[in-house]
Parts: sequence; structure tokens; C-alpha cells
Amino acid sequence: MTERDLVHPPSVTDERHPSDLAEILERVLDKGIVIAGDIKIDLLDIELLTIRLRLFISSVDTARKAGIDWWETDPALSSRAARDTLAQENAELRTRLHALESRIGAEELSTVGAAEEERHP
Amino acid sequence: MTEAATLTYAFAVCRGGDLTAPAEPFAELPGLGTGAPVRTVAAGPLTAVVQDVPAAGYDEEALRRRLSVGAELERCARAHHAVITAASALAPAVPLPLATVYLDDGRVREALGDRETSFLTALGRIAGRAEWGVKVYAPTGPPPAPAAVPAVVPAEGPGPGGNGRAYLDRVRTRQRGREQRHALALRAAERVDAAVRGLAVAARRLRPHGVEVTGKHRTHVLNAAYLLDLGRERELRAALASLRRDETDVQIELSGPWAPYSFADGGITDPGAAP
Repeated sequence: MTERDLVHPPSVTDERHPSDLAEILERVLDKGIVIAGDIKIDLLDIELLTIRLRLFISSVDTARKAGIDWWETDPALSSRAARDTLAQENAELRTRLHALESRIGAEELSTVGAAEEERHP
Repeated sequence: MTEAATLTYAFAVCRGGDLTAPAEPFAELPGLGTGAPVRTVAAGPLTAVVQDVPAAGYDEEALRRRLSVGAELERCARAHHAVITAASALAPAVPLPLATVYLDDGRVREALGDRETSFLTALGRIAGRAEWGVKVYAPTGPPPAPAAVPAVVPAEGPGPGGNGRAYLDRVRTRQRGREQRHALALRAAERVDAAVRGLAVAARRLRPHGVEVTGKHRTHVLNAAYLLDLGRERELRAALASLRRDETDVQIELSGPWAPYSFADGGITDPGAAP
């Protein structure tokens, strides 16, 4: 992702050509079957194929610019990456919580200590 | 049973009478590049556009292997699409899915015969019409500058407690901003869909593309296909031009005209949608 992509005004659009591979694939693969052939490739396989193909497309179009394995770390794409992000955030929050708790704990102790001192002068 | 040396690969189905004018209308096309000509097989009132393919390269096992290789899948998809586009240019044509393969011409005739009524219905529905694709994207970059700067957070917090709260506030604000922008984009997408649907005789939502195709900088919020009468292209373009002026939260892309891939087996017809 580049700065240029981000500042690109949203309303500016490119017309996609019917030669766009992703568009062709979603049309030749993703359609309901009107007729069954004698040689069958089941839908699950086609699903897998499209996934693979989309990775393939990205390797041609996008990945070249963005780094070949960025989808590995993209939470939107990789559930593992999503888990990693969550785990990281979780750990960070725990650390902060711990810091807060020990700080409050210390304050409470000193307050209690002060009170006890008052009771037993 | 002995294995036939060739199988019959089917691309599209037309009405029989529609393809008789040039004797061999597809002879010049490479098709899948097997060397065999792209030809037609008549089956009652229907005609299939087919090509002989070697059994060794197109039986189930070989086909699966073939389509698992990105470059080969692309080649086959483009070849398949090219034949369908050529057929559609000559006559209303129902596109068949990639890799629709029969043991021989006889099996093609049987399959077409079994589904004759639904093919004729489909051909009636798509005649004189073309498919257009409309995609709407929401940019996923950081929000415009003012919202992105949480001015209330001091650069140096009073201590770990202050920093933690500020951190949570930042996360919450960021999350809320994302949700708001996404909701805005979804509403914009619905308005785009409603406007284009109004010009169409049928509409269908396709699966949105993942980030691998859209790129990380935008999310796909609408992927739709519309079946429009051939004369309405200008109206469609005008409607989209006006939508692009109004809907500044999203990007709108148009593709087409396509052979009516998304409406071969139905499509959600919206009675009252088109005048």
C-alpha cells in the first residue's frame, strides 16, 4: 500500500475491462450450473481453485508492488494473522492492566497502612 | 468399454436457427488450442458450441490438475470466455461453466435434450440483453486527517494509568471510525444497486472479492451483475456518472458488456424494476 493509494480521491474510478482476469474467472467459475457435464469437477474444488487463482492474480498484479507475502500477515485474509494480531493486542493490554493493578494496589496498601497507623499510634 | 481418444468440450448453447448463416462461424477460433476446430452440434431446437479435446488432457484427473495451475487456469478461462463472447456476438448464447466436458457429441445432445425447456427459457430471457458488472469499493485507508488526530491525548501521559486509558480510547475511536465508514459505504452501495436495478430486467449479487483482488487499500462492498436491454447502455453510463458525483464515500466500477453469464440459470428477476 502506498501513500498515493490513500490520497487517491474515492470518486475517481477506472472502468474495468472485460479482459480483467478476476472478472472472467468469477463469471466462468462462480456460476450456478445450468447443465452437468460427464466430466465433473465438484464445487468444492472450484472454490479451492478460485482461492488459489486469486492468490495467483495477486502475485501478478498486486504482490509485485506490495511484497510477495503480504496476505500472510493481513488479518482480513489470514485467520492466523488475525489471531496473531489479537494475541499481540491481548498481551499488550494485559501488560497495561498489570501495571495499573500494581499501581492501584500500591496506593491501596499505602492507604491501608496509613489508616492502620492512625488506629494504632 | 474402450476409452475414446477425444472428448467434447462445450462452451455455450444457442438456438438452432440462429447460427446457420455463416456455415462454420467459429472455425477461425483457436478455442482451447487443441488444434481441432470450434464447431457446433445440433440437438433439436438447440445448438451447442463445442470443440474436440484429447481425452488424455481433459479427463477428470487431467482437468483437475490442469486447472490447479494458475497459468493454465488463466489460459483455459480466457479461451472459454473468448468462444462465449464470439458466440454471443452472433446470437443469444447461454454460457456454460468452465470445464463442461462430455464423452462425445451424443452425450451433448442427450444433455441438451434433457434440459431443453430450461435452455429455451434462458435463451428467451437473455435475447437482446447484455450483462454489466458494477463493483463498489470502500477505501480502507486512515480516515481524513481531523478525525485521525485524537487531540485529547497528551504526548506525555501522567503515568502508566493515563497511557492505558488513552490507548483504549484510541483503539475504540479507531474502531468506531472504521465501523462508521463501513456503514456509510454499505448504504452508498445499496443506493448504487437500487439505481442500476431500476434500469435492469434482472439483477444478481456476486460474491465480493477478497483483499487479494481488490488490494489492501479498499474493501469490496458491492459486486453485482445486471441484465440490461441492449439499448440502455447510455442510460446506465449516465446513471453511474451521476452516482459517482453523489457518492463520494465509495469508488464505483463498471464492466461490460458481458455475455449474460450471471443470468444463464435464472437470476433474480425484479418485476416492476424496469419500465
